[in-house]
Order: sequence, then structure tokens, then C-alpha cells
Amino acid sequence: MTTPEGDGDGSAAGSDPSATESDPSTARSVPDRTVLEADGVVKRYQTGGETLTALKGIDLAIEPGEFLSVMGPSGSGKSTLLNLLGLLDTPTEGVVTLDGTDVTTFSDRERTDARKRTIGFVFQNFYLISTLTAVENVEVPRLLDRDPETRARARDLLQRVGLGDRLDHRPDQLSGGQKQRVAIARALVNEPRVVLADEPTGNLDRATGRTVLEQFREVCGEGVAVVAVTHDNVVTEYTDRDVTLVDGELFEGPFREVDRKMREGTLERPGGASPAAESASADLGPGQRKGDTDGSDP
Amino acid sequence: MIPDRLYRQFPTLLIARRNLTRTKARSALAMLGIVIGVLAIASLGLFGATLQQSVTGSLGGIGNELVVSPATEEGVESLTEADVREIRRVAGDASVVPIRQGAVQVRYRGESSRVAAYGMDNPGDSYAAAEGRIPDGFRSGVLVGASLADELGVRPGSSLTVGNRTYRVQAVLAAQQGFSTVNPDSGVVLPIRAVPGEGYSQVVVGADSGEEANATAVAIRAALNDREERVSIFELGDIVEQIGSAFQAVNLFLVGIGSISLLVAGVSILNVMLMSAIERREEIGVLRAVGYQKRDVLKIMLSEALLLGVVGGVVGAGLSVGGGLLISQLILGDALAALTLGNALYVVAAFGFAIVTSVLSGLYPAYKAANEEPVEALRS
Repeated sequence: MTTPEGDGDGSAAGSDPSATESDPSTARSVPDRTVLEADGVVKRYQTGGETLTALKGIDLAIEPGEFLSVMGPSGSGKSTLLNLLGLLDTPTEGVVTLDGTDVTTFSDRERTDARKRTIGFVFQNFYLISTLTAVENVEVPRLLDRDPETRARARDLLQRVGLGDRLDHRPDQLSGGQKQRVAIARALVNEPRVVLADEPTGNLDRATGRTVLEQFREVCGEGVAVVAVTHDNVVTEYTDRDVTLVDGELFEGPFREVDRKMREGTLERPGGASPAAESASADLGPGQRKGDTDGSDP
Repeated sequence: MIPDRLYRQFPTLLIARRNLTRTKARSALAMLGIVIGVLAIASLGLFGATLQQSVTGSLGGIGNELVVSPATEEGVESLTEADVREIRRVAGDASVVPIRQGAVQVRYRGESSRVAAYGMDNPGDSYAAAEGRIPDGFRSGVLVGASLADELGVRPGSSLTVGNRTYRVQAVLAAQQGFSTVNPDSGVVLPIRAVPGEGYSQVVVGADSGEEANATAVAIRAALNDREERVSIFELGDIVEQIGSAFQAVNLFLVGIGSISLLVAGVSILNVMLMSAIERREEIGVLRAVGYQKRDVLKIMLSEALLLGVVGGVVGAGLSVGGGLLISQLILGDALAALTLGNALYVVAAFGFAIVTSVLSGLYPAYKAANEEPVEALRS
């Protein structure tokens, strides 16, 4: 239905990966350029007269093209953080900034618009619409725009994630890994600045999980930031930076490391007495790609 | 390719249609409810209208007729020649048929029975013959009503004894269709003089229209009842009007009953949509997460309800038209008589009612789905 000429227009980030992939570090050359930022974010819930503080003052800056993992035990507030970063929820205190704009005071409609423009979601359970084909599922975020180029872009994205031969399959005709790749393609269809992934490898076997992670890496190469909330240590092999949430507090480093330091008593708490400790932890920019700490893992 | 293009243009319709096909049986049942509702309203309406048409059709022109009879409560036993002349004078163009009615004993081949006899001068103006011929100047012989002829087995040419005289049967009258003021089906028509009694027992005045009949009635009253009450006038137009309004009431009642079934259909749509909204909670959460506004979700859900209503309504309307044709064929003997503007209105109204019911029923589930917080919906 779409002419081939239509492909090139208006889809720079998606259809021409090679252009940006050649130099992924350019995105990081400007240190204070952040796409998404949490500043002193606190989230409290009222449950049965009790106040539960899910997040206790989170500072986190995400830069374009960065692959960040958020780890932590169950109930540590990972999902809450992801919802706040994804503009699905608003913090009780603190500020969430998207491209320099404070989105905390946004109305539901404005937040929805901002999500559509800037954020792509990948869910653990894929959440594909079972009645739509793969390519239609990818189109979903833009389906209501009646943009004739969306179909072509959806095809391109599916081809990119290796599902060029599964375009018209329904979700029940796809394997878990294929579904997750459709979900990734869907997250990218609106050319987001940030992709937020909730346990993206949680329902996949190891090999498939790695394929998905490689795809995320590729996405990052195009200047799109990826934030993955995960339990899966394999994820850290692909990330630029890992942070760990423990009881609503954020620590720099993957969970294993944070957990070890905790047991050794050497963990420096963020926002504690020492300002140096704070800057060295969560607020730390992603300029430093992970170093030796990962290498020490078996 | 056409549906594909249509869905490109109306993407909510695509999502809505796919959602409905996901639970085919459930959607089909909800639609069936609408079909039954539309069918009930439209076909009951059509049925009532056809019945009314049939009855008013058989009443024929009696709305244009007046029956002038002597005012018996004032002691007037019969109408005189002078009364008839007066009636003729004021009636103008209207036909005036004076009738002397009595009871006579008829005998044929040993069988005897007492029947009504109608004496009149020109029965050919009022009745048609099934067999034989009605003479122009009716001076002799007898005309036998269809039922009586059947009962006695007489034919034109037979000799029938009426009272103590024997008459030649000139004709057997055609069976009377529907309702008429003077119905000789089971009686005989004789020359005036042959019927015992004096003067006339009634005068039937036939005008060209109901209004004319009314005006004539006023004129006759003015002419004959001026000084004393001589005649009473029975205006059949009143009856026709009353029958008409009775039918309208019956029709309204029937359509009301039909509406209840559509209301039930609406509840079933409400149920289906509510279940669908609950089942698809997460999916709707995803839609909201990827940038669908509340009103987009609302639109999708309402499109589903609308689609159920439109498909159910179209099928129901189609069946109603078919049913209407059938009813019309059975009652009126003419299927195409159902194709009137009034009947079309019933079908259109039923269809419209179906759409409105569906959308109204979809409103609450749609509102519920649209206002679900995506965070809540996606909490697994």
C-alpha cells in the first residue's frame, strides 16, 4: 500500500540504523545532556491507613543512547521507578524531567502525549494484542494517526528484529522470543528517545534473551536510551551502567555487587552524610562505561 | 483491499472488529439480542399496521355512509315517502337507498326458515350478483344472499316460497366483503312491496367522502328533526375513527412490548462490553501506556458497541422487512402492500433505537475502561 519512496521520509532513527550506529559515543559527548531525569523522587502509597514509601528520594539521570539496568530484589520499588520514568505515574515528591521539561505537573492528557512522543515500553508479558497480526501490533502506538507510512515503518522494524517472515502472524503463532521482538519493534515505532523495559528477558530462555539484549544494544547505538528493570544478571553484560534498588534507595552497580558490599558493610548510602558518596553513586553520569567491576565476575 | 483501506481510515474500527471476533459466540449472542429486539419492534409495528390496513380496508367506504332510521324512542315507527323525499332533497349528489326491513318465512324443497328480508327498489346499486342477474327495475322475483343460497341450495331460476307466495330466484348475491350496514348474506332481497310493513325502516345515504357524509347528516337533522325528533342518524365515520384510534393504541402497545426486548438486548451488550473491558484490562493498559488517550480507548469501546448495534440492527431490519412482506401476504394477500412509508418508519425507528441502545449500553463499560489507570491495569 505504501510506495517504496515513502520509507525514507520522517523515520530517520528507525530505518537507517547505520548512520548513527557508526558513532554511538557522539550521544555521550555532551555530558549534561539527559533525556530523562529523576530528581529527589519519592513515592508513597497509602495502604489501609499505613503509608508505604516505595521510593525514598531517587536521583537518576539517563542520557541518550545509554543502556541502563535497574536491578534489585522484589518489592524494592523497581516497577514503581519504571512507572515514574515512563510517565505512567507521578511522584509524591521530587521532579521527573523529560528533555529538560518538568513533567510532574502534567495532566493525564499531556503525560499520555509525552509517552507517545518520547517513550517506548517493553513488558515482561509482551502484552501484544492477540487479535492483531505482528505488523499491526507494531503499528498500534501510531494506528490512530492514520499515517500511511506507519505500515512501512512497522515492516522495517520487524525485519530489523529478524521477523520479516512473520509479519502477518498472530501472537499465538509466535514463540516467546518472537513476541518480545515484536514488542521491541512496537516500542520503537514512534521513534522514542527512551525505551523502558520491564523484565525483558524474564519469560525467555537464555539464548533468546541474549538476542533480545543484543537488539537493545543496537537500539542504544541509535541514540535511544534503554532502561531495563531486571532480575537477570545476563542483562548486565550488555548494559552501559547498572543501578540497584534496595528498599527504595538507589545504589550504583549491579545487584550482586551492591548485595556483597551490603553484607561487608562497605556500602555507601546515597544522599547520606557525605556528598561525595552521593555523587559517586546514583547521580553518577553514564560517561564512564562500566569498568573492571564486571570483569571480576566469574 | 477495500476493507483494508477502510480500516486504515478508521483504525478504531479495525481494533473494535478484531476484538469482537475474539469472542465470536459472545458477540454473536449480543448481536442476536439486538436482532430480536429490532425484529420485535419492527415486526410488531408492521403487524399492527397491516392489521389496521386490513380492517380499514374491509370497512371500505362505510365511513362515507349514514344510516337514517326512525326515532323509535319518540314513537316514530317508520319513515314515510315524504321523509325519503326530504332526505333526497338535502342529500344532493349522495345516493339514497330507502329500505324496508322485515322478517319472512322462506321455504324451498320442504326446508323452511325464518330470515331477514330487505325491500329495496334498486338492489343493483348496492350489491353484485354471484350468479344470475340483478334486474334494473326490481319489481318481481327474489334475490338470495350468498349464505342462505348455500344453505338452501337454491340457484337462479329456482322457485322460492316467501311467506305464502312463490318467487323466482333472479340472482344469488355475491358474498359481502367485510362490514356493511345492510348485509343480506343470510337473508333475501325483495321488491319493496313484497316486504310486509309500512314505509321504510331505514334509509342508507352514501356520500363521496366522510366530510360530505357529515355535512349531509347535519342537513338531514336540520330538515327532519327541526320541530320534532323524527329520525336518528348513525354516522359510521365515527366508528371508523374509533377503530382507527383503537388500532393506534394497540400498535403503540405492541411496539412498547418490542422495545422491552430491545432494552434487554441493551443489557446484554452492557454485559458483554463490561466483561470485555475487564478481560482486556491489561491490553487497554498497554494502549494507554503507548500513548492512547482516554478518549481513544472510549472510542474503541464505543465502536465495538456500535458495531454490535449496527450489524444486529441491519440483520434485524432485513428480517423485519421480510417478515412484514410475509405478514402482508398472509393478511392482505399482497406482500407489496407492506412497502409503505409508515412501515418504513417502523423499521427505521427500530434500527435507530437499536443503535442508540447499543451505544448507551457501551457507554459505561467504555468509560470504565478509559478511566482505568494504566499503572493499575499493568500491575501483574
